[in-house]
Amino acid sequence: MKRLVIIILSLFCFSFAKAQIAIDTLSTEALNQLLIEQIERLAEDSDDDADFEDLLDNYIFFSENPVNLNSDEVMQLVELRLLSVFQYEEIQKYRRYYGDFMFLEELEMVEGFDEQTLAIIKPVVCIGNDESKDKLTFNKLARYGKHQIVGRYEQILERQQGYAPVDDSALLAKPNSRYLGSPQKYQLKYTYNYRNKVRAGFVLEKDAGEMFFTDKVSDTIRALLGSNYQRGFDFAGLHLYAKDLGIVKAAVIGDYQLAYGQGLTLWSGMSFGKAGAGSSVMKQGRGITPKGSASEYSYMRGAAVTLGGGPFSGTVFYSNRKIDANVSVADSLDEAELVSSLQETGYHRTIGEIQDRHAIRQQVVGGHLAYAIAHFEVGYTLHHTWLSVPLQLKPSHYNQFYFQGQQLTDQGLDFKYVKGKFAVFGEAAMSHNPDVKAPEPVEGPTQTQAGFNYVESSISTSSTTLGFAGLVGMTVKPAGYLNFTLLYRNYGKAYQNLLGNAFGEGSRNQGQRGVYLGVEAAPAPYWNLLAYVDQFQYTWLTSQVNAPSNGHDYYLRVSHSFSRRANAYLQIRSKTKMKNSTDAMVFSHYPILYTKNSVRFNINYQIGKDFHLSNKAEYAHYHNEDGTNEHGYFLCQDIAYKPESKPFSLSFRYTLFDAKDYNARIYAYESDVLYSFSVPALYGKGMRIYLLGKWKPFSNLTLYARIGRTIYSDRDEIGSDLTLIEGNHKTDLKVEMIWKL
Amino acid sequence: MFCFSENLRYICTIKPNNMKKLLLLIFLILSTSNIFAYDFIHPMGGRAAAMGGSSVASQGLWALQNNPAGMANLEKMSLGLYYENRWLLPETAYKCGAFALPTKFGTLGLSFNQFGSSKYNENKIGLAYAKDFGRYLQIGLQLDYLLLKIGNDYGSFSAVTFELGIQSQVTDKLTLGTYIFNPVNFSFEQTLNHEKLPIVMRFGLAYKFTKDFIGQCEIEKDTEREGVSLRGGLEFEAFKSFYIRAGVQTNPGILSFGIGYGIRFAQINVAAQLHNELGASVQVGMIFSLGK
Repeated sequence: MKRLVIIILSLFCFSFAKAQIAIDTLSTEALNQLLIEQIERLAEDSDDDADFEDLLDNYIFFSENPVNLNSDEVMQLVELRLLSVFQYEEIQKYRRYYGDFMFLEELEMVEGFDEQTLAIIKPVVCIGNDESKDKLTFNKLARYGKHQIVGRYEQILERQQGYAPVDDSALLAKPNSRYLGSPQKYQLKYTYNYRNKVRAGFVLEKDAGEMFFTDKVSDTIRALLGSNYQRGFDFAGLHLYAKDLGIVKAAVIGDYQLAYGQGLTLWSGMSFGKAGAGSSVMKQGRGITPKGSASEYSYMRGAAVTLGGGPFSGTVFYSNRKIDANVSVADSLDEAELVSSLQETGYHRTIGEIQDRHAIRQQVVGGHLAYAIAHFEVGYTLHHTWLSVPLQLKPSHYNQFYFQGQQLTDQGLDFKYVKGKFAVFGEAAMSHNPDVKAPEPVEGPTQTQAGFNYVESSISTSSTTLGFAGLVGMTVKPAGYLNFTLLYRNYGKAYQNLLGNAFGEGSRNQGQRGVYLGVEAAPAPYWNLLAYVDQFQYTWLTSQVNAPSNGHDYYLRVSHSFSRRANAYLQIRSKTKMKNSTDAMVFSHYPILYTKNSVRFNINYQIGKDFHLSNKAEYAHYHNEDGTNEHGYFLCQDIAYKPESKPFSLSFRYTLFDAKDYNARIYAYESDVLYSFSVPALYGKGMRIYLLGKWKPFSNLTLYARIGRTIYSDRDEIGSDLTLIEGNHKTDLKVEMIWKL
Repeated sequence: MFCFSENLRYICTIKPNNMKKLLLLIFLILSTSNIFAYDFIHPMGGRAAAMGGSSVASQGLWALQNNPAGMANLEKMSLGLYYENRWLLPETAYKCGAFALPTKFGTLGLSFNQFGSSKYNENKIGLAYAKDFGRYLQIGLQLDYLLLKIGNDYGSFSAVTFELGIQSQVTDKLTLGTYIFNPVNFSFEQTLNHEKLPIVMRFGLAYKFTKDFIGQCEIEKDTEREGVSLRGGLEFEAFKSFYIRAGVQTNPGILSFGIGYGIRFAQINVAAQLHNELGASVQVGMIFSLGK
């Protein structure tokens, strides 16, 4: 009898364990899906090739190093938008009433946790004791720390024009017509982590086209590049981070990111902008985070420390790094140097790019003070930036209020109050630039149109050394399944900040005001709705917009779960903004309205245990007042085979796309090797396929390989200038190795 | 869109009472270049025709043409015949025959279809195979031989390609399907104007609202046509084995409806499609289940 009981019990345990695994794979899918949607939205909203590596790094970090549900670390999930601030409050409330969590399943009993949220956060949380008070010993660091090495190679297999052979004289005549390096991209990354408490690492990277050890250039070119001539890894970064060491809440040496308040004063890394749910419009500053990615722009290099005790905490930081800029000698008499622009791409491939490499030094010093009690938090941020060479932009109407000169001071006050069904937050900031001078007369287009009269009349009053900006918002949750968010922002046209990244249209928190209203609801079981309206005005001209302009952004997304194995969503978006007319018949370019609408349907489903399928269809429509009308279509089928019991998995996608022009382009996130992302903007007419394989020959070694090909049916050459490929196909290859110890 | 001049030439041999409609057809072809595509991939069967052409997530014998994965669960050996009189013109008739044999290795199928008249016709012969992998997944494949014949000594042109399909019963109510014709972009060996054979991709779903009420919808992209086509249809089993159906299709815009009736070994489906300018088309399909 006893044996029988044991057998039954062990059978029960066994089936329970199996069920647990099934839940976990589902969960990772849900988390992946969330990440995919976030990155797609970010890609659509960012104007240029944005770098999401930093963001991706953070998500992957938490999915591999789950946070302890019984500690304050859970706040970091709010910062990554995996939890809403109300859900965080509910977790804390639960812990106060019932004590620490003992099982993950307890989360189901916490108010506001539906199946979807659980699916998303289960892979990134674990149950443990609060270890923040643990003493660190060298022994523990050596024995329990986790090491990881990631090596990656990638390349476009077809030859791009920038890599075509060329002789010296032709290259000197057109110095930026070739890349000096080889077409391969290499990245090597090492990270160390001890229970999320001590982290360290380094990263080395060489982008495609940058010179590696084996690349050769002639002596003439070498002489031309002078001290900028350098081969090997173009980017190297290092970080050492620790937290919860007595009164030292966090400390870092090397590369790091800082994020405080609502991002108006200081937010150096990636920011979500409008992507994501309404309730997460309220930002959660993450304070100091180490930066392990190879993103080459917008980060701090130096040291930072946060000290805390009781309700107070204070941070001081210093950053000193060289940045890329175009330096010219302004005046031949005193040989004063000036910078005409800052380069943000991080690429050093052509002679011009190499000459701009690390041309000036940027130093930032600052700090943040915070006072936090139960539901209320207030913070003050101050930082000061120096450039080694003054920045003087090419004079134009639109950049009249942009940062110029050599020094900039920003300070801001932020607050947050979250209680029960109500959250209110805001930040006010002020910038001071001592170098602002009265604007000089600008040579521009003929100023005959009505829009320019505005420019003329306001020029005289525009020189001020001070700039102001502010935002205030609130979220209310009248019922568990419903919340509304309202946000008002007003960023003065003279507000300058090189390190801010607050909510707004576009990435520049300057010369903009607007109102955002968002709603999140679960109107019926298995149905979710997300919608927002954002109306904004630019109070000054912007690039390619010759008058103050306005626009709006409407978004609606309805999602439904047919079962735990199948879910679908429909997303409709309409965005209207203004841009100069390109009509050749008019004498001066005045802004006209343009609208981009898109409708997307996406369905994901799982077949059996091992197959994950998904379909996506998208339609994009672009039109403007000049009468341009463009349509784009996109259809794809994904098939992923991820057997639980085998050490490999495969993903495949087949895509058809048909978008006449770039304006009707469609962004589609593609599965990629870990720590890398691919969101190609597809336009033209053709098909695209990719195959991604993952193989885990040993428990500590994972290999990835991915090959993708786009075949166009409407053209015989792809791209232009340096990226021109002769032929109708473009093939990309990536290989990655991850080794864990 | 296939060579207009050749089409115009053969029009001259057509009876005068059909001339007006045919000229209108040609006019529409020239003005939109959208309505006329190869018919190799035209959905087959009276049920699909009545439901706006939506068929990618349906099962049965005609799945052989519409999404071969759908015949994986066929229970009996079946034979089907289908005739479509498009715009009520004999010159644009569409005739199909299909045969499917379920075996223990999966279902084997043979299909034939022909569009057009003796002056211009498109033919397809297909050899299909479908298999189910558990309750949730069916995969189908069809190898095709395509033959394009143009009268007046213009000759004939052939191509070989294949089609792939998958279907999945995700829940008791929801079935999803995807179908791709010519996924690797084969083309005709030689044609007059180097016409490309299109890639056609469809995906969609069928949802069983109740035991006797089904809704279907799908999207199709044909690489040789502008835009996409959306299709949707509803089917209601009014009495035992008696079905009423209706559907709608965009690009071209068509409204359709039809009825179906089944007795033990045979099933007949009749449909009519209405196009605003071109008028009505009539479709009749019959399926015979053979053996026990």
